Amino acid sequence: MSQVIFFIAAIGAVAGAIGVVTMRNPFYSVLALIVHLVSLAALFLLLRAEFVAAAQVVVYAGAVMVLYVFVVAYVGGGEQVPAGAVLRVLGPLFGLALVIELWIAILGSALKGISSKGAPYRLGFGTPQHIGSLFLTKYLFPFEIASILLLVAAVGAVVLARRRRGLEPPGEAFELQIRAPRPAYTGTMAEGADTNPAADSPSVEEIVEQLAGPTDGPRSGGGW
Amino acid sequence: MIAFADVNYFEPWWVQIIKSIVIFAVIFAMLPILIVYERKLLGRFQARYGPNRVGPFGLLQPLAEIVKFAMKEPFRTATSIGFLYRIAPVIAIVTAVGALAIIPFGGVQHVFGQRVGLYGIDVSIGPLYVFALAGISFYGIMLGGWASGSKYAFLGAMRGAAQLISYEVSQSLALVGVIITAQTLSLTGIVHAQQGLWFFIPQFAGFLIYLVASFAETNRAPFDLLEADTEIIGYFTEYGGTPFVAYLFAEYANMIVVSAIAVTLFFGGWLLPFGLHPPGWVDPIVVVAKIILVFTFFIWVRTTLPRLRYDQLMSFGWKILLPLATLNLLVTAIIVVT
Repeated sequence: MSQVIFFIAAIGAVAGAIGVVTMRNPFYSVLALIVHLVSLAALFLLLRAEFVAAAQVVVYAGAVMVLYVFVVAYVGGGEQVPAGAVLRVLGPLFGLALVIELWIAILGSALKGISSKGAPYRLGFGTPQHIGSLFLTKYLFPFEIASILLLVAAVGAVVLARRRRGLEPPGEAFELQIRAPRPAYTGTMAEGADTNPAADSPSVEEIVEQLAGPTDGPRSGGGW
Repeated sequence: MIAFADVNYFEPWWVQIIKSIVIFAVIFAMLPILIVYERKLLGRFQARYGPNRVGPFGLLQPLAEIVKFAMKEPFRTATSIGFLYRIAPVIAIVTAVGALAIIPFGGVQHVFGQRVGLYGIDVSIGPLYVFALAGISFYGIMLGGWASGSKYAFLGAMRGAAQLISYEVSQSLALVGVIITAQTLSLTGIVHAQQGLWFFIPQFAGFLIYLVASFAETNRAPFDLLEADTEIIGYFTEYGGTPFVAYLFAEYANMIVVSAIAVTLFFGGWLLPFGLHPPGWVDPIVVVAKIILVFTFFIWVRTTLPRLRYDQLMSFGWKILLPLATLNLLVTAIIVVT
């Protein structure tokens, strides 16, 4: 049973990864990436790492990819810009470098796991309690460093967004309230209480006049 | 301590299959009942009768409606993307049903000489499982709106998705307070920790935050901007017939899940107050009764409160609910540690 699930998840992961780079439509690329991430979560589940699997789905498939989908759905799907000459040379070079690096890493571990049955399952492995205590004892320093990195990124995002906002004029000029008196007996609560909240505000004609500015005679062009 | 999740793996495989079938059948039998219950109750709240024509007391109304929906001609817009358009409601309903698996209807009991836990599976990650599925269910809405090939459905889906991810944060933070108090993630463990005092008393702020966020997560009034019947259109504008029913059922299944999580985490699951200890077979009935009570509260709120504007919804979620949830978490952590 676990072999069947493993192969389904593994095929999903590989197919998703291939889909990300081969799809022409960016929206489909993002969807393929989601398939890839969910398949990875299934593989984590097979390894009894329940918390990591849930975190994978909640954080990556559920939160990060949502933003990708938002951006791509709003602005994506436009004209595909053909890659420049520099990119066309550099792209395969970097890809090749990455492949070599990966092979060194894989062969460097001498593939010990293939011929053995792997580490035995210990009770409590991969549970949130186990991972939490490791984070706060053995891996406290990397954990804190990663937190600070994320904090810096968040603050940086806020700062960048604020700077962009500062150039715009304040939006107060667009707010205009016309408090016009309603016709009598239209059943407002104010009427029931025998008050008229708009009694001392200027009439509609006055406001329109004020907005239109000084006019010389009847307006000739435009209008509603 | 042995996690409850590990106990569960000792059940034979056929028990797990029977359990999943029973849970699925019971919940799906509940859905039409809840729909007609809601409509009857809505009618009473609004001083009218509600459905009372089909069957005795109008009880067969959902059956008639399902027949009506199933008989409809399947259609889709010419601009829609067929594959995604078909798969989107499936994602919505699969994730909604999948979340039902961890709802505990009772502890481990002896059924015909067999030790059976009255829940689908007691995962060690508990509520995180629900949030993982909620994260996926978002794509049901998103793809439905996008693949419809209609601007209005697309905008509705975008707005709905923004609402969902905004309130999911507060919802999960509100539950972390309970988890810290119970000191376990296993849902049965949380219920056992509530013996004596249900968590909605020590975690009252967390309970309120969870409730409000749940209204937004399940697209219920006063946050039902996704499907505000009278004014705007949502992600399922281009859907009709059975795919539309799938979305509807997913929404109601989500409401059951949210109510059941509230019952489990805040109202003591299958526990009863006043020192009552009924025999084991009563436990699922207690849980279902509590779920229906929470569901009734949902309907009550729906008839009472007016709908929020979209900017109000967003500023409320991010500026009020999220800081409150964070504060609740901090205070709970300090109380538990000291």
